[in-house]
Amino acid sequence: MAVVSAPRDVSAPPAVPPRSPAPRRRRAGAARRRAGMLMVAPAFLHALIWIGIPVIAAFVLSFTNYDVLTQPRFNGIQNYVDALTDPVFRRGMLNTLVYAFFTVPVAMGIALLIALMLDTQLRARALFRTAVFIPQVTATIAVALVWLWIYDPRNGLLNAVLGFFGIPAQNWLSSTTWAMPSVIAVGIWQGIGLKMLIYLAALQSLPKDVYEAASVDGASKTRQFFSITLPLLKPATFFVFVTSVISAFQAFDLIYILTDGGPANTTTMMTYEIYKSAFREFRVGYACAQSIILFVFLLLLTLANRRLNGGDSGRH
Amino acid sequence: MEFSRRSFLTAMGLGTAAAVAGCATTSPSGSSAADPTGPVEGDITFLCALFEGSTGKETLEGNLIKKFNEKYPDVNVTVDYTDYGSLNEKITTGLASGLMPDVVTLGVGWIPPFAFKNAIAPLPESLATRYTYEERVLEPSRYDGKLYALPMVLDTRIVAYRKDFFEEAGLTGTPKNWDELRDYAKQLTVKDGGKTTRVGFDPFSIDLRQCWETFLFGNSGELFSPDGREVLFDSPEGVASLQLFLDMMADGSADFALKTEAGQPTTLQQGTSAIMMTNNSLYVQLQQQTPELTDKIGTFVLGNTDPAMLQGGTMVSQSATTKYPAAARAFVEYMGSPDAVLVASEQRGSVPAISDLKDSDYVKGNPMVAFAIDNLGKARSEGGTPAWMEIREKIKPTLETAIVGQQSAQAAIDQLAGIANDAISRL
Repeated sequence: MAVVSAPRDVSAPPAVPPRSPAPRRRRAGAARRRAGMLMVAPAFLHALIWIGIPVIAAFVLSFTNYDVLTQPRFNGIQNYVDALTDPVFRRGMLNTLVYAFFTVPVAMGIALLIALMLDTQLRARALFRTAVFIPQVTATIAVALVWLWIYDPRNGLLNAVLGFFGIPAQNWLSSTTWAMPSVIAVGIWQGIGLKMLIYLAALQSLPKDVYEAASVDGASKTRQFFSITLPLLKPATFFVFVTSVISAFQAFDLIYILTDGGPANTTTMMTYEIYKSAFREFRVGYACAQSIILFVFLLLLTLANRRLNGGDSGRH
Repeated sequence: MEFSRRSFLTAMGLGTAAAVAGCATTSPSGSSAADPTGPVEGDITFLCALFEGSTGKETLEGNLIKKFNEKYPDVNVTVDYTDYGSLNEKITTGLASGLMPDVVTLGVGWIPPFAFKNAIAPLPESLATRYTYEERVLEPSRYDGKLYALPMVLDTRIVAYRKDFFEEAGLTGTPKNWDELRDYAKQLTVKDGGKTTRVGFDPFSIDLRQCWETFLFGNSGELFSPDGREVLFDSPEGVASLQLFLDMMADGSADFALKTEAGQPTTLQQGTSAIMMTNNSLYVQLQQQTPELTDKIGTFVLGNTDPAMLQGGTMVSQSATTKYPAAARAFVEYMGSPDAVLVASEQRGSVPAISDLKDSDYVKGNPMVAFAIDNLGKARSEGGTPAWMEIREKIKPTLETAIVGQQSAQAAIDQLAGIANDAISRL
């Protein structure tokens, strides 16, 4: 008689713990990480030495009365109190906001317009592109000196042109009314080039099929611009906006040459006040506090813009 | 690669440690005055704001330093050139990095702030009598009774006028006080169809701070008390000095918008002003740009109660932390000698600080420099307080608020006095 053994319970084989990568693969992973760290190391060191340490030093010194001539002494938040209650620095903050408020969107708008025009089969496109970009790469001091002549109240080009149309001459840089608009005009003019290039590059990378589909659906060029182009340009717009705001907040050399912050502080900026505090008044600790305030300003603006635009991906 | 929290915090900690360590090692405070005894040898640096351009470099290194080395062959001088406008930045960055030059040129008014904080070394009093100086000329070189620098060149603020315009208007002589100045200026102002084509008086082509100071001193006013701890310019004299400019603008004989623009001939040269505040270097500019006007321009010193001429200039001083004090001292003494002073003055059209040089061909050939030397007895200097570096930056923009009509002269002076008192309280 055959012994019939109870049927063996055929169940799923017992769970085998995942095998850890073979030692060879583990070594390869570690090696990749090391290679990655080594590749990043120079940039990281550069950022640490030239950006990180100075930023930390500025933060530390902002709580001292450091004047480079004597040892720094801790003075708490006095520098911040002084900066935020200093009417001249507050004027500088206001002027900086005004300057950024006008230069950034206006320059962006003009740059986009020019980029749209250059993103066509226009003859001598390269020449126009170069002409628009030249102010960006010209030394600001040269730009400012030329504009000093343009704005000269007696012999300047601008008043000469205005006089041709019967408009009375203005004292552009000596007038409390016109000094800031004059500086803003130069800032806009000089800042168009780079923005135009970025927009042009972005425009040239937009998918053509979307436009074709829109055309088939009967969308006008204007409709296509507002419904397709602008939304697709959001990442570029975000980048241009952030970099433009940072650049506007760091405006210094134009002020230094054109107006020296005057007349009567009507064109002084935060950066110019920081420079004067550190290098003319020898109040380095105070200048560091002003710098930190500027940093906070820019950080808040950047975060706000990121939030409003849903980040650089355009998501809301 | 993700930057872990631990590595981020480690980096921040290292950075903070580095920053604190850096701060602890850079300032010269507390260091004792450099001992100038010992052999005159070593490598010294000289921060120079006087000799500019290739001509200046050749003059300094090819001529002066060469002569210095004939006497002191074991001293090697490395020159760091800068212009006066960038001198602050150079000194600040040098001090912050612990690389304060061994010998440095400084402006008038800078000695008290630097001496107060022991950044520069006192000089022996014998150097003050080695050559002949007007006592007024040496005043800015002193702090707390000690000599800290040797004056090299002076830059004075004087009043220049167009003799031909005066003749046309039938004016003889020059104004003796402010009332006469206003009267002359009204007569010399020219308008064409409501637009001013020539102002009688242009006070705005020089720094407003220095212009106001000149008038303050000419009105028997003072900037600060002798110890530099008390503000004195918030006096009726100080307010009146600023109010004068406002009154002249109101009656049309001065115009804030009509001033010399950068790189252009002065308003006096262009004929858009009849009297202007200027610098003694105008003579060199006249010779270069408008030689036909050289004989048509005269100069005078104006005052309301006391004639006063503002004296700026450049001095040479020794760092308190130099490793080679003997060499630095020898170089300071040399740069303060007539040879160096004359050469420095010639190439800038400035006034030599040493009175012995008034008979030199250079001075005799430059009427404005000769005029300034003859009037050094009326010279007054700005500064006089250890808080000067901070205060001086605020003077022009604060005074401008009155000039452009944002506030009254009294309010502007009061505001400035508040700023100055704050700065002094922080000493």
